[in-house]
Amino acid sequence: MIENRVRRIVIVGGGTAGWMTAAALVRVIGEIEGLTITLVESDAIGTVGVGEATIPQIQLFNALVGLDENDFVRATNATYKLGIEFRDWTRHGHRYVHPFGFYGLDMKGIEFHHHWLKGKALGDPHSLDDYSLGIVAARQKRFARPRPDLPNSPLSKISYAFQFDASLYGRYLRSLAEAGGARRIEGRIVDVVQHGDTGFVEAVALESGARVEGDLFIDCSGFRALLIGETMGSAFEDWSRWLPCDRAMAVACESAGDPEPLTRSTARPAGWQWRIPLQHRIGNGYVYSSAHVSDEEAAATLLASLDGAPLGDPRPLRFKAGHRPRAWVKNVIALGLSAGFLEPLESTSIHLVQSGIARMMSLFPTRAFDELEIARFNEQTEREYVDIRDFLVLHYKATERDDTPFWNYCRTLDPPAGLAYKLDMFRRNGRIFREHNEIFTETSWLSVMIGQGIEPQGYHPAADLLPDADTLTRLAHIREVIDHVAPTLPLQRDFLVQQGSASGEQLRRAS
Amino acid sequence: MDDHRIRDIVIVGGGTAGWMAAAALSRFTNNGYTRVTLVESDAIGTIGVGEATIPPIVTFNTMLGINENDFLAATQASFKLGIEFVGWGQVGERYFHPFGAHGHELHGVAFHQLYLRERQRRAMPDISSYAMSAVAAQRGRFVRPSREAKPPLSSIFYAFHFDAGLYARFLRSYAERNGAKRIEGKVVNVLQHGENGFVEAVTLDDGRKIAGDLFIDCSGFRGLLVEQALGTGYEDWSRWLPADRAVTVQCELSGPPDPFTRATAHPGGWQWRIPLQQRMGNGFVYSTAFTKDEEARETLVANLEGAMRGEPRALSFTTGRRKKAWNANVVSLGLSSGFVEPLESTSIHMVQAGIAQLIAMFPDRRFDPLERERYNEVIQGIYEDVRDFIILHYHATQRGDSAFWKYCRAMTVPDSLATKLALWRSKGRSFRDNAELFATSSWVAVMLGQNIWPEGYDPIADSLDPDKVALELERVRRRYAEAAEAMPRHVEFIARCLDNPPMTAAAS
Repeated sequence: MIENRVRRIVIVGGGTAGWMTAAALVRVIGEIEGLTITLVESDAIGTVGVGEATIPQIQLFNALVGLDENDFVRATNATYKLGIEFRDWTRHGHRYVHPFGFYGLDMKGIEFHHHWLKGKALGDPHSLDDYSLGIVAARQKRFARPRPDLPNSPLSKISYAFQFDASLYGRYLRSLAEAGGARRIEGRIVDVVQHGDTGFVEAVALESGARVEGDLFIDCSGFRALLIGETMGSAFEDWSRWLPCDRAMAVACESAGDPEPLTRSTARPAGWQWRIPLQHRIGNGYVYSSAHVSDEEAAATLLASLDGAPLGDPRPLRFKAGHRPRAWVKNVIALGLSAGFLEPLESTSIHLVQSGIARMMSLFPTRAFDELEIARFNEQTEREYVDIRDFLVLHYKATERDDTPFWNYCRTLDPPAGLAYKLDMFRRNGRIFREHNEIFTETSWLSVMIGQGIEPQGYHPAADLLPDADTLTRLAHIREVIDHVAPTLPLQRDFLVQQGSASGEQLRRAS
Repeated sequence: MDDHRIRDIVIVGGGTAGWMAAAALSRFTNNGYTRVTLVESDAIGTIGVGEATIPPIVTFNTMLGINENDFLAATQASFKLGIEFVGWGQVGERYFHPFGAHGHELHGVAFHQLYLRERQRRAMPDISSYAMSAVAAQRGRFVRPSREAKPPLSSIFYAFHFDAGLYARFLRSYAERNGAKRIEGKVVNVLQHGENGFVEAVTLDDGRKIAGDLFIDCSGFRGLLVEQALGTGYEDWSRWLPADRAVTVQCELSGPPDPFTRATAHPGGWQWRIPLQQRMGNGFVYSTAFTKDEEARETLVANLEGAMRGEPRALSFTTGRRKKAWNANVVSLGLSSGFVEPLESTSIHMVQAGIAQLIAMFPDRRFDPLERERYNEVIQGIYEDVRDFIILHYHATQRGDSAFWKYCRAMTVPDSLATKLALWRSKGRSFRDNAELFATSSWVAVMLGQNIWPEGYDPIADSLDPDKVALELERVRRRYAEAAEAMPRHVEFIARCLDNPPMTAAAS
């Protein structure tokens, strides 16, 4: 055993981030002799947990903490998700889907989209959407898990995530964490005790007078950033010049029939509105820029565009896009909203917690708290936030909309350097390169760039290894296969019932 | 269709790099309108010595659709499972850098972390005892894992030792079959566009003019196009890698060929030993600032295992890289793009990587600068990764028996390498960033092999029960040893491959 090992881990805050962290820690290192994992939270402090959409990587996390998928889907009222539909982003009346998984098939060693671009140049009118089984199936409200046993079928490459009730997810993970030995302490933190010389956090003091001591503190206190911000003074870097939305108005509403396995994002005059269908209700929210629209107007817009009756009054949320370049300082690691915030346009909030946990595990400290390792953690965290930021900014920047001051601002803003480079590369010959294992793949960039109307001037010369006629034939064949396979998938509602993940009752329209 | 398509690719120089490029491009631009022409002169010798490679070469051959047994027969090739390093940490020590991983991770904990922890409890066998490739190599055994192979055979990765001159000849016939045209002649002049400096044509000594859209400079160290015509510039790395000369010679085999390369450190440099089917390639690499030519030659000759064939040949170089591997419409491949000594057998790989990137970034006649810059950044990254890994071998030594080793031990290393070493030294952490060429297991093999023992290990390892882990480590070691014993001897396996060359026939 390592002499100066971390013996006491204290997680501050019990929202989704806190309980994800606790569940993962228990599972991965819970068995180290003498290690305690404690989570401090107060029932008096609400969590942000709204209906939450995720990306496929969450399956890795779920596998890590050992949860059973059907059980989890049932416990969190979850639905499946094959992608995000974007409406009115490019222009009014336009829509496209950013799918998980792939388009078509790589041919001659060249990515599919070069063949598609070539087909387009030859006059083939079919949109990219027609080459994604996920999109075609989702439009038919169908869903099934992938079939790796059929490697030659597009079924083998289905990629999916979930939409669920985040507070139920937190509760579910809490039960896993507590069963695995994590200790929960109820209480409000009133003071943070630091070492006089080093400034390391030694304990948090609760309202009750109790002190919770630790070697390593994980700040999951949300926007407040109790330890990383208030105590450690780690500065917040503001990105609102690129992502001006700073508020959201959220409300759930009744379901309106069979859900498509898609999250929907609809552009609005001063932002966009999410629509996340769960089994029993739909989560909705209008993300907007307070400089361009009032709260009242935002609430009115939201309420006017629900699929069912609202369940309660719209709840306001305030935030600022950005992150803390130092997410780990001394013995405090920030995970979740305390580390940074990026609007949920691409459903990355939970992923950022998950990847933060993975990074912390790969650089897990001793009480010596190696500065080089901390620096690596911070660099990689920053890179991840920057990568996602750039992808989000793409959605706002690549638009034809000029109907409101908000969209005029977005369309004409100076993009960050990384995004500018990606746009340039794509505009010329349709080239997309995934850097340093960034979270969004070539497919994601392709989907949004094409979806939002960016047209490359050329395609990869190697697409010409296929004679023109063959290109068109093969494209047609791919569409035929997808059109043939999609209707063989079950409707999502049937799938949920078959897997025992939901009762027919839950899926019924609330009345 | 646009009309910016590349019609003529002209490759200047027909060594290994030139014919690799011709073979790959003839296959890849088989589109009905692109012609591949290679200009070479029989009067100019190529550097082709016995050449050792790394596993990506298998991918290169596969990409070309080459039958591996045909290739073995044509190039005198033997298989390679890794490199044995002798005398690098301290005089008299040896270690093995295998292809493929050590063991396997357990519950997300890296194998070497478990090894490091266990070593605090008891004396451990060398970490190479836990690498399938190393265990087989040290017994002189080899088997080619099939595509469906299961562990432990699936953890075997291999490359080849072959005669680079024969490989070039083999690829030449491949390329010519695919329509590449060879022109015999010596380039005497390079014609450039008056304004942008793009190369328009090369002129041969008989007056012929070969025009092209895209030129591939495979002319070797001198960089006929990329340097002599375009004046691109060269970044010199000799402060970290001071070796600037090699003396090479072949000798007879003294036994069946080993399935590994050996690199032996001597006071004034290091010596390679590359066993082919019928002979051994040898070379001594040294720095003229520390070692005299005569001394180098004597060391080489004194350390041959079999009778010398021919006279030793000398070869000079400067370690470093061309500042822009792709400049204007000229892409340099091979020695014209840079040189890093063959300590980790990367020379042919650098050509291959350049070709792969060129295909990924294949231009049209507008030659988009953004794409070219990206190509250059990627190639620079690969060169620097290799550079750092090679420097590690020199720097991580305890040898003090010569001024040469004292210099290497004390020199300041690039920041990128210094960070890697610091991360390693505290908890044995090693991260493979950005698709680096050498995997974590390669770094682990060399760092442990040269006695850089970390102070601690990954704290996460303590989540696993040490006694159970110890049993698993032992099980892995025994299983690998048994699997190796069941393999054919390397020499027998080669014979088997040569006996029934057409794989296609065997498959039907």
